[in-house]
Amino acid sequence: MRSKERFFVLVLLSCMAAGCTVKAVGDPNRPITINAHITVDVKGLEKTASNIEDYVSGAPAEGTVKTQGGK
Amino acid sequence: MKTPQSIFKIVFVMLMAVVCHLNAWAVSYDIKEMTPEVKAALDARRGRYDQLAAFKSQGLVGENNRGYAEALNSPEVVGDAVDAENSDRKLIYKTIVEQNGLPADALPTVEKVFAQVQRDKAAPGDSIQNESGSWVKK
Repeated sequence: MRSKERFFVLVLLSCMAAGCTVKAVGDPNRPITINAHITVDVKGLEKTASNIEDYVSGAPAEGTVKTQGGK
Repeated sequence: MKTPQSIFKIVFVMLMAVVCHLNAWAVSYDIKEMTPEVKAALDARRGRYDQLAAFKSQGLVGENNRGYAEALNSPEVVGDAVDAENSDRKLIYKTIVEQNGLPADALPTVEKVFAQVQRDKAAPGDSIQNESGSWVKK
């Protein structure tokens, strides 16, 4: 039983690792064109937007907008 | 049987670990460098906030669905403030795009997110434009 559990866990971990693997095939001397589509994390952006608007309005903000520093 | 229950427990624990760490994986888009221009824009918006809020409560200014203030009535009265506000907002939005390595075509997405936040934070009675383009009173 324990060996079956271990096997199952190993299979799961392997599947997770395989999902993160990038394979490159083709002629190594040929330039590779990568078309990347960048997905904006809306939730992260919402938090930033909320913090900024809270700062502007003077309301207590969950995060902070640091206005010191810069070049 | 014990084996299926043990497997279920293992899978459940792994799933919970993933769920608990989802926040850690969320991307954070911040103003990473507070340039003088961005600071000036934020400070100007703070200084203008009460005036803009008053215009909104009078129905002269609303929040459109692109993340900007819009003059609804008496543009000769509110026009300068609206233009200045939108100029500052655009600078902030562009800064977020640039400093977080987002492509230029992500600007509309940033604008729409700020528009949603503006709608959420609008005071009761303020005019807001929803995603379909209709103007409503909050």
